[in-house]
Amino acid sequence: MSSLTSALPPAEGMGPRVARWGLYLILLLFAAYYLLPLVVMLSTSFKSLDEIRTGSLLSLPRDISTDAWIYAWTRACIGADCRGMAPYFMNSLVIVIPAVIISTLFGALNGYALTKWRFRGANVVFAMILFGSFLPSQVMLLPMAQTLGFLGLAGSAGGLILVHVVYGLAFTTLFFRNYYVSIPDDLVKAATIDGAGFFQIFTKIMVPLSLPIMVVTIIWQFTQIWNDFLFGASFAAGGAQPVTVALNNLVNTTTGVKQYNVDMAAAMIAGLPTLVVYALAGKYFIRGLTAGSVKG
Amino acid sequence: MATLSINNVRKQYGSVEVLKGIDLSLTDGEFLVLLGPSGCGKSTLLNMIAGLETISAGEIRIDQRVINGVHPKDRDIAMVFQSYALYPNMTVARNIGFSLEMRGQSKTERDGAIQRVAKLLQIEHLLDRKPAQLSGGQRQRVAMGRALVRDPKVFLFDEPLSNLDAKLRVDMRTEIKKLHQRLGTTVVYVTHDQIEAMTLASRIAIMKEGVVQQFAPPQEVYERPANMYVASFIGSPTMNFIRGTLAAEGDRLGVSVWQDRTASDGGPCRFLPLHEAPAQADRWLGQEVILGVRPEAITCYDPTMAAGNPALVKVGCPVSVLEPTGADTITYIQLSGQEVVARIKPSDTPVEGEVADFMIDMGRANLFDPKTEQRL
Amino acid sequence: MTLQTPSYKAAAISAQNNQTQTEAPPARSNFGELVQRHLSKLVVAPSFAAILVFVYGFILWTVYISFTNSRMLPSYELVGMDAYTKLWKIERWYVAIENLLIFGGLFIGVSLAIGIVLAVMLDQRIRGEGVLRTIYLYPMALSFIVTGTAWKWILNPSIGIQEFVRDLGFPTFTFDWIVQQDTAIYTLVIAAVWQSSGFVMALFLAALRGVDQEIIKAAYLDGASLPRIYWGIVLPSVRPVFMSAFVILAHLAVKSYDLVVALTGGGPGYASDLPATFMYEMTFRRNQISIGSASAMMMLATVVAIIVPYLYSELKGGKRV
Repeated sequence: MSSLTSALPPAEGMGPRVARWGLYLILLLFAAYYLLPLVVMLSTSFKSLDEIRTGSLLSLPRDISTDAWIYAWTRACIGADCRGMAPYFMNSLVIVIPAVIISTLFGALNGYALTKWRFRGANVVFAMILFGSFLPSQVMLLPMAQTLGFLGLAGSAGGLILVHVVYGLAFTTLFFRNYYVSIPDDLVKAATIDGAGFFQIFTKIMVPLSLPIMVVTIIWQFTQIWNDFLFGASFAAGGAQPVTVALNNLVNTTTGVKQYNVDMAAAMIAGLPTLVVYALAGKYFIRGLTAGSVKG
Repeated sequence: MATLSINNVRKQYGSVEVLKGIDLSLTDGEFLVLLGPSGCGKSTLLNMIAGLETISAGEIRIDQRVINGVHPKDRDIAMVFQSYALYPNMTVARNIGFSLEMRGQSKTERDGAIQRVAKLLQIEHLLDRKPAQLSGGQRQRVAMGRALVRDPKVFLFDEPLSNLDAKLRVDMRTEIKKLHQRLGTTVVYVTHDQIEAMTLASRIAIMKEGVVQQFAPPQEVYERPANMYVASFIGSPTMNFIRGTLAAEGDRLGVSVWQDRTASDGGPCRFLPLHEAPAQADRWLGQEVILGVRPEAITCYDPTMAAGNPALVKVGCPVSVLEPTGADTITYIQLSGQEVVARIKPSDTPVEGEVADFMIDMGRANLFDPKTEQRL
Repeated sequence: MTLQTPSYKAAAISAQNNQTQTEAPPARSNFGELVQRHLSKLVVAPSFAAILVFVYGFILWTVYISFTNSRMLPSYELVGMDAYTKLWKIERWYVAIENLLIFGGLFIGVSLAIGIVLAVMLDQRIRGEGVLRTIYLYPMALSFIVTGTAWKWILNPSIGIQEFVRDLGFPTFTFDWIVQQDTAIYTLVIAAVWQSSGFVMALFLAALRGVDQEIIKAAYLDGASLPRIYWGIVLPSVRPVFMSAFVILAHLAVKSYDLVVALTGGGPGYASDLPATFMYEMTFRRNQISIGSASAMMMLATVVAIIVPYLYSELKGGKRV
């Protein structure tokens, strides 16, 4: 990516030099602002309670202790359940993995059908699917709760998987549709003449070409679903809740002494998976963010 | 090898009629070129033959078998696309053998067929590469290989040379022609390039706005164009269109070229006697006509040639601009006030601004109706 | 030199002979044919049906319920605008709306400002740009709950920033916004901006890089200074992105639920309540389903009022979403 100012020659002289130092300073200050919470969370989670009481917010732990982490993972009390975050972490996995796979698969098929086998009304269908994703979920919460109860899925992982798949369809379809639009239609025509059918073209030609967008979609869906709280709080009960709901319950329980280090460790546990994904594949995440938003 | 017949075929998109009754029939082994500007319907017609578009009305038959509604894979056709449409994720070998894979043939059968085709097109050394690693000309060959391996009755080409640079285009054009001579398969070829049409076709169908303007062998289209549209589409520089009146001088029929429109009954004009009378000459006598003469029919005056050929008519005209191209010099001359283009050999080049003698080969002249633009 | 008939050709010919006909095969109206022709539609159908039911259908249901007198369980007897009139009499709802305006306005404004400024700064051929970008954007990868938890800790008067600064030697320093009724809402702004401004920056940075370099060169030759070039030429040409960012941020603001729950719990009391938390409270805790539905409808109306004109103007200009 060429920078805007690569069009222009670099500035010479003292004035611009000072300005440049000022620029770096401001940028670093902002970096500090963004890093602050992460640093605080991490350092607090490695401190003992005494150190937290006597020490200050920004001080690094004198002795790194993993006690809080172990406690948070195995013994912390979330509501009345004192098995730590571990089972809830597993819940999140059980919910996220199938939901990501199913919504991505349908998104790919939809994008393929809508761009390479256009039918009358395809644009309307796509518009309606996409528009739905803009609407606040508050208007769908109650009826969804009722429906899940009706289907016998209330409070279970299955119910949440269904919810996340349905509400994830809009974005996965958007990603794949915009990607497939730029794959030449001639490929499908040639394959048709060669005798390949609808699904054969999909599996033998489209899917092998879809790796970049698949990565973007999977990362995006993983992040959205793992980080969700509203659906988790509304549709899962007790032991079936995802890790974000568990975190909130843990932090907001006021029994006994507030164990801040455990709270922070728990927050890190809840946040690490998406952070790791971001660290490893961040540029695909960014591509997903800007995919539907920037024109051209 | 097969016959192809297109009978009164129409195509509509909603209320817009894109093809308005096309009638073409090809004999076994013919090379048909559909020629025309973009939007004339040639690609639509090709897609209908392939089965990628439905036929609104009319019939298309391959070897007497009606193929309306038959799936492309069962029509025994193969197509080469403008963008080649090679499958990017597959090797060249798999690209070529894909249709056989779809037919369920065994690996050994497929490999044999792929090898044979690769040898024919001299791309054996490319079989393990992916399309992204090939040059434009190589991709062209692979696309043709993919079509060849199907052993179809009709080959369809959709502007296959448009994406190549000029030199490569000429080379590939010759290759296609040689391939056709070898295999003798019926071909339908779409292009907007009139040189490709002239060099490759056994017959050309020139299309404009969904209607076939003329369907004839290249030389006939060149020398006896059916209307002014065809006349101006083929040939470069384009044919001269000279305004005049059909008149008689003595017992000879000819065209009076005016100085300007108001001088049709007086003022300086030239009389160019015709070598042969047009149809319905009586009806047109005294009427305005357009005389079509190609630049190469106007050359430098040569008395010995003129004496031997009664069709050659001498004219003296002032020369306005010279454009030397190496092989000829394109010369712009004024004939009774109208600008006319001539092709002069460099050795005979006249001088700009002076009057020189030229001769027009009226035996190669065409007359057109100014209103309908049809040939008389 | 002609080709010998290869084996595959022979096979093809014999297969062909078995099917040679002189007329088109009669139209097979069996089920298989029908499916084949409409396969594309069939593939999209499940998703479309799901959206129809789970989005549009549910909205209609909520609309209906908002016109009934439901409390703990849905009742289907229509009572007109009752729930809406009751809604607009609740003080807490007014607090929520006012908070939304304050929060929304500040959140969008500050995020846009920071985002643009950071984008412009990063565009100046900075060394380590990649690292900085990663740092500015990572908050978007976190759940709002994690964000809320972390900031709650940092903004806590007794152990957070206030205590830290006091320990540094400023015993009268106060930063207890989060526990004060009047200022709790601003803490939400701080945390939300932290989460989303990196996203705005990413959008603008991408847009800046798409600006036609020739225009910049021309302006430079005409004697424009760098700030002038940015202000007068570059920023106006990224106006579409401006609109996109605005709409996305507005959308996020209206939907804000997770962050409120984690950071302030809507408190103190309900001083930092937002429509989303209000709706949840009414529907799932207070057994006032009709009122909750009515508040949800108000949220929907707000979002639609922002999104629809935007989409309309986008689609008029071009056909791609």
